[in-house]
Amino acid sequence: MTAENRFGDEQYYALLEQLQAIDFVLVELNLFLDTHPTDQNALQQFNDLTEQRWVLANEYEKLYGPLQNLGRSYSGYPWQWNDDPWPWQV
Amino acid sequence: MHSQTRDYFPYVGPFDPCPPIRVKTYQVPPQLFMTFQPENLPQYSPMEALKLGTLWPALFSPYDPRLSHLGRGGT
Repeated sequence: MTAENRFGDEQYYALLEQLQAIDFVLVELNLFLDTHPTDQNALQQFNDLTEQRWVLANEYEKLYGPLQNLGRSYSGYPWQWNDDPWPWQV
Repeated sequence: MHSQTRDYFPYVGPFDPCPPIRVKTYQVPPQLFMTFQPENLPQYSPMEALKLGTLWPALFSPYDPRLSHLGRGGT
């Protein structure tokens, strides 16, 4: 387990920004694939990025706790979901 | 690359109650000229795409609102 990771350090924001960028590209590709279901390259890229997104989200969650709740993210002990900072405080 | 802003000149009458707006502008983003998006268009990197608001340079629109102030009495 890495040293205590402070919220708000550069890595925290760097990981969040990368996640945000990948999520944006996934949205674009998802919308594109809605109208281009046979585009294999786009579909391959979408699946690759989805895989990357899982890896990145897991890396973030290991360091800073769950991104989502209701079973979409693991939590450390004790329960971390209602800890600070909340999204609007980030 | 032509600008994505076009303008037109509203009619200015002698009895207009307010100062005339001589020039008005409107945007013509690229999607107006692309009926069905082709496959394998070149892409931005994720970070650039996030900043520019689109994954594909062919669809990027600067949407430069500063130009629209020309309409306020500008000639």
